[in-house]
Order: sequence, then structure tokens, then C-alpha cells
Amino acid sequence: MQLDYTPEQQAFRAEVRAWMEAHVPKEPLVTLECREGYDQHVEWERTLASGNWGMVTWPEAYGGRGLDLIQWLIFEEEYFRAGGPNRANQNGIFLLGPTIMEFGTEEQKQRFLTPMAKGEVIWAQAWSEPGAGSDMAAIQSKAVRDGDHYVITGQKTWSSRAAFADWGFGIFRTDPDSKRHKGLTFILFDMNSPGITRRPIRQLHGDTGFAELFFDEVRVPVENCLAGEGQGWNVAMATAGFERGLMLRSPGRFQATAKRLVELYRANADKASPAAREAVVQAWGAAQAYAYNTYGVAAKIMAGGKIGAEASLNKIFWSELDRSMHRTAMQLLGAAAELKRFADGSVNQWLEGYIFSLSGPIYAGSNEVQRNITAERLLGLPRVGAG
Amino acid sequence: MDFRFSDDQLTLAEGVRDYLAGTHGPEVLRRLDEQGNRDPAIWQGLVDMGLTGLCVPEAQGGLGVGLPEAALIAAECGRACLAEPLVDTAFVGVPWLVAQGKLDGLEDVVAGTRRVPVAHAINPWEADGAGAALTSVDPLRNLTAAGQTSDDPHLLNLGALMSAAQLVGLADAMLHQAVEYAKIRTQFGQPVGAFQGLKHQLASCSVAIEFAKPVVWRAAQAMQDRLDSAPVHVSHAKVAASDAAMLTAETAIQVHGAMGYTYEVDLHFWMKRSWALCGAWGDRAYHLKRVDDAVLGGTLPIGPEHTFA
Repeated sequence: MQLDYTPEQQAFRAEVRAWMEAHVPKEPLVTLECREGYDQHVEWERTLASGNWGMVTWPEAYGGRGLDLIQWLIFEEEYFRAGGPNRANQNGIFLLGPTIMEFGTEEQKQRFLTPMAKGEVIWAQAWSEPGAGSDMAAIQSKAVRDGDHYVITGQKTWSSRAAFADWGFGIFRTDPDSKRHKGLTFILFDMNSPGITRRPIRQLHGDTGFAELFFDEVRVPVENCLAGEGQGWNVAMATAGFERGLMLRSPGRFQATAKRLVELYRANADKASPAAREAVVQAWGAAQAYAYNTYGVAAKIMAGGKIGAEASLNKIFWSELDRSMHRTAMQLLGAAAELKRFADGSVNQWLEGYIFSLSGPIYAGSNEVQRNITAERLLGLPRVGAG
Repeated sequence: MDFRFSDDQLTLAEGVRDYLAGTHGPEVLRRLDEQGNRDPAIWQGLVDMGLTGLCVPEAQGGLGVGLPEAALIAAECGRACLAEPLVDTAFVGVPWLVAQGKLDGLEDVVAGTRRVPVAHAINPWEADGAGAALTSVDPLRNLTAAGQTSDDPHLLNLGALMSAAQLVGLADAMLHQAVEYAKIRTQFGQPVGAFQGLKHQLASCSVAIEFAKPVVWRAAQAMQDRLDSAPVHVSHAKVAASDAAMLTAETAIQVHGAMGYTYEVDLHFWMKRSWALCGAWGDRAYHLKRVDDAVLGGTLPIGPEHTFA
């Protein structure tokens, strides 16, 4: 165990810090969940790419910098220190990208990764269906082979970024006689293909971050299939591992929130309850614990290890931490918590953040599913319904 | 930057775990509780393993390992609910003496003939000392009134750190016992562990324990590296480990149902040790206040770029 940064790592931190201080927008962008905000966030992705910061861990040949996971964590820390915006392409760079790196052909890597890193192609995910939410193996949308194409028919829902994104990925049933986890195939598709209809879903805050997707005989070239027909479930599980285990929510995000929460506490200390005060201190502690754990996971992966079912612990921890921090902020704000804009005209980011934090324990596999996975695969308890 | 124990360190800890699992099981705890709770043979076994000399410098015949390794072994002592006060003497007392340059006689600690009772003003008693006996809820903990106490903060930090390390081991063991019981106890025609009502509670314990461990290891390394901020990290560790252990203790007894309330089920030994260590070497309020002072008081740099401040 060695918890010091090397001179090279410190120099890298200084380089990231200088660039971020010069480039991160001074004012918060409009929420990613509307057209105006989406366009602002895509513009930011391209600014990041102009500094070659799109995805620092990827090889240079695919638009990255070939850096290791410790450097990625340093990058993320500095990104959130500077108040960097949410990543419009998080479905691409954090989920699909690592999946293509592991399962894709050389041709697929060349074709998809660089435009992803450069923010030229923004990705939506398309996992859930109306009848397949937590139970993802109940997927029914079909992809029928026709020559060198798949013909996709069906419906996806809760597709993040799908209201505006360029491309999408999901799993589809390629074997019509298959059941559950078998006969599924991971397919990438152009969101503007003929036959795709997007119906943005209005969320509880009024904006439209996700969408329903209707597929009516959408033709997708066979070469857009990842890792071979019938391999979809395994590939999707790997993607979910990246999502829950490491990449989607780096610690810097929560450490930055905890720091803002401390500042909010100081500004409201005279009227804060002892319980809120303790919650603020615990928020710092939990965000730090999450960071230590992530450094441990990064070290393990760098030594050749893999992320297994423990990714579920991670997802439970950060999503419930995020909700708890924002709930505490709402308590500290008191009567002002309900205001969408404060008296000085600034947006109530805590309110927006609280509403968003309520989705954390639901998306990327509900926390109930994560607790089942933890109990069954890590602790070895019997599967649900087992006799 | 490498937040991992080395293979050598993990091998050492596994060796201790296997040894204690083989020689210090629940049947031994019961024998000790019923027939006098100290057994020279157990102490001699620890001496033969080299554990009394773990933190003694090599020049005095010890292994000279650092606090992170000692914390890892302390967690194993917690896992085994070790009765002998090894942690007090070898992982708290010895590093405290070494920090003061008091190296004389440490050879006798290695040999197992000298104990180093440690008493701090925050809990004015010691384990296995010569003073008047006090009765702990933990039947395997022999508290005695301390003639002299220290108010050295370094001693308190060592005690709190090693308590936190034992608590994560204790919590691991209690979770394991609850899981094993939930697999074999059947009701309504299935193992009770198949019910989500139990599964989700046990999963929550797992979350609390797994996110307390890296806080403990980080605190140990901060002490080893003599960071100015080390006391804050020790307090963070003590709070996180205590909360994980209390949650797991309460969940584990619930999972055992009425059996959990009996002497017959082993759980109570671990639960009582957890209660004792949660309050020892600075209770929750004490350590929470130290974190509060640093984080809200502004003496500790916070934010994403200060993960290892």
C-alpha cells in the first residue's frame, strides 16, 4: 500500500487543472435534459476533445491518451474540482466504449471509438422495454436476420439521451425460439435509421432526458453486432459491470457535492439541526470512503483483476449517498428548497440535483436488484424462490 | 499510488486467519467462558506465530512490520473474536513504546513474557492488568482498573485505529454467521435466506462493511506515514467501522430469530466484543466530533483533489 502520487502523476494533475481552469464554463450549463442544454453539453464534449481529454484511458489510436486508471481518477478529480459539466456522452465513453474495447473487432474499434472520444457521435442506451425493466432477460424486441442485415421490430423505453442522441445500443432477441438470457444479441444502430420513432418522455421535472423508441422493421447491417449473435447477455453484463463498478460515477463527483454541502452548511449553520450537521460530516466521510474504494478497484484492475458482483455494492453505495447528500441540502435550505431559482436569480442546483438523485437508486439496475445480486452472488444466499 | 495490500501482506493475514480458525473456534470461546478465560497455550501459539513481535523492530528480534499490516492482522483477531489481549500489547502498546524510543525489553514482548498494558484517560482501565477487576459485557475481556493512565493522543489514535480494524473483522464474522444460518434455517418451505426481507438487510451490511474497510486501511497508512491529518482519518475509520459493526450485529441477531437471543448460538461472543470496542478508545461522539472539527472547521482540505490529504 502506497498512497502518494508520483512526480509524473502530480505533473499530470497540474496539467489537467490548468486546462480545466481555462476551459470549464464559468456559468453552469442548462440541464442536459432539454434541447438547448443538450446542445450546450455536446459543444462542451467537443471542447474537451479539442484538448484531447475525451477519454484519457483509451489508446491514442482510438482518440485517447493511453493513460492508466490512476491518471483517469486524477483527471476526474480535477474535472469535478473545476465544476466540469455532466458528460453528454457518458453512455458512450463510460459504458459502450469499454465494452467495444473488450468485445469489438478491430474494424469496430476504428469505426466507433474515435468519434465517441471526440464527441462527434453521442450515444443513447436502449436496454429496458415496457415488459423488461428490472427483469431485463424478459426482452422481446426482435432482430431477424435478412441477408447481411438484421430487421429490428419492437419497443425500448427509458432510453437515456435517446431524445437527441445520434446512435444507440441495446440487446435484441435474434433467436425467436429462445427464452430469457439466451438468444439475445448486442446491436449498435443509427438513431436516424428509417423506421425508428423517438417519443421523448416528459420527466417529473418537466424536461425530456429519456425517450421511448419504436422500431418498425429497422434495417441494421450485420457488422453492427457486437461479439457475435447470441452473445448479447454476456456483453450486456460486462457493460453493466463497467457502469456499476467503476466508470459511470467517479468519486470526484461526490467529493465535489460533499464539499458544496459543507459550504452550504456553513452558510446556514445558525438554523441547521444537529442531525443535518452530522449528515454533512458523514457525507464527507462516505464520499471519501467511495474514493478509497475506487482507488482500490483501479489498483486491482491495473494488476490484471476484474470487476465482479462487487460492482453492485458500489452502485448501491454511490446512489444512496447522492440521494442522502441532496436530501440534507434540501433540509439546510429550508423554506428556500422549493424555489427553482433563488432570489438572486441563480438556479437552485440542489433542487435539480435532489430530483435527479432520486433516479440513481432506480437506473443502472434498481438497488433492489443490486441487493439481490449482492446477497446471492457475494454472500451465497439461495436465489429468489429457491426451495 | 497503489491502494492494495501486497501479496505478502495478504498471505501473512491469511496465515493468521487460518491458524485462528483452526485453533480458536467457537468451541474454544465457550470453554474459555466456562473454565476461566485465559489459556497460556493460546498465548504461546500467538507467540510462536511471531504475532507478539509483529511491530517490534527487527533489531529487537521482531518482524518490524508497519501499522497497515498490523491493522490487517487486528481485523483477523476480530474475525476470530480472539480472547487474549494480543492487539492491546502488540499492535497498540508496542508501536506506542517504539514511537517514544522505548525499545528496552521489547525482546521480552517478542518472547511473550512481557505484556504492555495500555490505559488512556479516555477509558481508564486496561486489559489484563494488575488492578481491581471490572466486569465487561464481553466475558472474554478482562478489564482492570488502571493505576496510571496516559493522555497521549498518539496512544489514543493507535487504540482507536486497532479497534476499528478489529470491528471490521468482527462485522465480517457476524455477517458470515448470519448468512450461514439463513441458508440452513427453513420456514414456509424454503431457507429463510431466500426471502428478500432478509437478503436486502444482509446486503446492506455487506455495503457498510466493504466501504468501512478501505477507510480503516487508509487511516492505518496515514498513521504509518505520520500525516498531520492522521487523527482525522483514524476517527473517520472508528466511526465507519463502529457503524458497520453495530448494523451487522443488530441484523445478525434478527436473522437468527429467537435462536439469536440464546447463549447456544455463537453470535453473542462477537456481538459483545463489538459493543465493547465501539465505545473503547473514544466513542462515536468523540470521533465524530474530531471529524466534524476538521471538515466543518476547515482544518482539513476537502474536495475531489484532496482524496489523500
